[in-house]
Amino acid sequence: MKANLNPETIAIIAINNDDIIYQFNDGAEELLGYSASELIGQKKTNFFILDEEYEKFKKDIASKYKIKTSHFNPYTILAQNDDYDAREWTVVKKDGTRFIAHSTLIPLKSDKGENVGFMRILKNITNQKNIENDLLRKNQVLNAAEKITMMGNWQWDTVINKVEWSSNLFNIFEVNPKEKLNFETYFSFVHPEDKDIVSASFDKSIEDKKFYDLLHRIKLKNGKIKTIQLLGEVVLDENTGEVIELIGTCQDVTEQRMAEIKFRGLLESAPDAMVIVNELGVIQLINKQAEKLFGYASKELINKPVELLIPNRFKSKHSSHRGLFFNAPKTRKMGEGRELFGVNKFGKEIPIQISLSPLKTEEGLLVSAAIRDITVQKKAENKILEANERLEVLANKLTAQNTQLADFAQITSHNLRAPVSNLNSLLGFYNIAETEEEKIIAFQKFEIVIHHLTETLNTLIEALKTKNRTSIPIEKLDFKEVLDKTIQILSGQIISTNTKISSNFEDVSNINYNKSYLESIFLNLLSNAIKYKSEDRTPEIYIYSVIEDGVIKLKFKDNGLGIDLKRHGHKLFGLNKVFHRHPDANGVGLFMTKVQIESLGGTISVESEVNVGSTFSVNFKE
Amino acid sequence: MNKNFNFCIVDDDDIYQFTIKKTIQALNYSKSIIAFSDGEEALHFMLDNLTNEEELPDIILLDINMPIMDGFQFMEEFIKIKPKLSKKITIYMASSSVDETDIKKAHEISEISDYIIKPIKQGKIKSIIEIFLKEKNTETK
Repeated sequence: MKANLNPETIAIIAINNDDIIYQFNDGAEELLGYSASELIGQKKTNFFILDEEYEKFKKDIASKYKIKTSHFNPYTILAQNDDYDAREWTVVKKDGTRFIAHSTLIPLKSDKGENVGFMRILKNITNQKNIENDLLRKNQVLNAAEKITMMGNWQWDTVINKVEWSSNLFNIFEVNPKEKLNFETYFSFVHPEDKDIVSASFDKSIEDKKFYDLLHRIKLKNGKIKTIQLLGEVVLDENTGEVIELIGTCQDVTEQRMAEIKFRGLLESAPDAMVIVNELGVIQLINKQAEKLFGYASKELINKPVELLIPNRFKSKHSSHRGLFFNAPKTRKMGEGRELFGVNKFGKEIPIQISLSPLKTEEGLLVSAAIRDITVQKKAENKILEANERLEVLANKLTAQNTQLADFAQITSHNLRAPVSNLNSLLGFYNIAETEEEKIIAFQKFEIVIHHLTETLNTLIEALKTKNRTSIPIEKLDFKEVLDKTIQILSGQIISTNTKISSNFEDVSNINYNKSYLESIFLNLLSNAIKYKSEDRTPEIYIYSVIEDGVIKLKFKDNGLGIDLKRHGHKLFGLNKVFHRHPDANGVGLFMTKVQIESLGGTISVESEVNVGSTFSVNFKE
Repeated sequence: MNKNFNFCIVDDDDIYQFTIKKTIQALNYSKSIIAFSDGEEALHFMLDNLTNEEELPDIILLDINMPIMDGFQFMEEFIKIKPKLSKKITIYMASSSVDETDIKKAHEISEISDYIIKPIKQGKIKSIIEIFLKEKNTETK
């Protein structure tokens, strides 16, 4: 049936003054479902229309012609006034179905001009109606959407300067929807401070025939300030190419703007340089501190890869690190434990510390990097390190000097006070001596003490000279030659003790050293090794040179008595310290050896096992 | 006054041994004076005479710097054998050292009655003996 409802079909029904149908065309047959033969001649007027619509029609006619009574025929009134009526009627077809029709009622007149009846012309407008409803609904949706998004749309006919706003735009501007609008209405709301840029932007849009998006503030009648964003398009005349209209949207972005301002404020107030980067490593936002740190202006960096700020040698690794971060985003320090560097616009590297935080936004996951310039800390750190090194050197020197001072304090305390106190005691004994014999004994003792004291003083003077000597002649000395010379000097003892001496100077055969010191070292260590031989073994001494940890070492290894280092280690190299009940032990040799070695920046050490042997090691200066 | 106590000198200095012996003898107090040249010799003597009260010393003048076993090493060993000794032994550290560390170290050892800086005058020996006798009397009372 619906197929019959051709929108082009026009039904024409003519009815005379006696309400008799006298014309019913093909279109009427098609639209209403009745046949003409069924109806023509019948007295029917309102057989296909709804009562309520008829009543409404009647009322309209009554009000139009100021008819007080309800007993009248609206069709007749219409004809009498030579008027017509056009409106929508619901048509009920023969089969009971309905459609919306546009109906026009036209009075019919005879040749003499007498009113003879009226004609109704019907047209099916269901489709049109549906489209209209659809549009209406869409408009509602649009209105709702605009409300939700705080958006409105506008059209500005630039030819006649007429502006139209969507209903929500009236809401945004808080203007009565009935108000007539033109560009000046809109412009009056523009915030005074933004008027210049707004008019300039519109001028440019029209001039360039391209709409420039615009973000500005408006000041409402009640003084409220809002921020709006205008997006739009320029419509051109098809023929002349002139601008005839601007259309677009307007969004109230006050809140976003506030949030953005707040965020921006936060970003700017951060003490660190902030660089916000997206998943692809493209810089989205930077703050002033970052501009300062890297020497770029914000616009030079935005939408550029973050690798621009990374020294070349770190670039390749960085992108893979970035990938890892986006896989498991969490706040963390970057490059923990490693030294990080950024590079500024001028290619200068800056030591930096970076903290990363993920930032979830509508545009996806971003990462904010807080970057701190640690040049100052680095410098301070280096200074501290340097100072520390210097302090260490100083401390070592002081310790050495302290040890020497302590050595001398001990020497004076032990080695000088003892003989002096003996002299005192002997003097007392001499004074009360009653016999000549006692006096002779006292004098013999005096001699011993004085001899001992002289020796000690000589050693001390020698040691002091050695320690304070500023320039000691140095020459290239061959270990083997010095050893041979020493063996010659000690030949008597070597033969009498049957000592076997072997050597190996293959690793290091010579050294730059003071000749007399080196001879003295060889003499002392070799004669000690012979002196403290074991009675149970044939003395064997092995002298060799090695390089250990970059230090040249000269070693004297014997198979003698050995030393209990736990008990005697601390006094091994002290003056007049003896720990063997050996008749020739005088505690001078090792003391002087140590003083000589130390005066040239070396050390002496010993390893020993009682009854197995000792190895003295002369460790030359590095 | 009874000559019923033994003096002991532990010192490697022959001259000192000679003069201190003379000084003690001159006072004419002690029964005997024994002398050792280092701590080890003195220790061996005491280990051989742990309960021999006749031979064990009553007062020891102990030097610090000696070969083999010095004064402090001797004290370590002495403290170990002290419970086995049948006699109370008074020890004075006698040294020519004026080194603060030596003096402090000696004072920290409770078994050492005092630290005497050499040379030792006769009057000092006298007061040492007097203190010893006074303590001995209070013990026997």
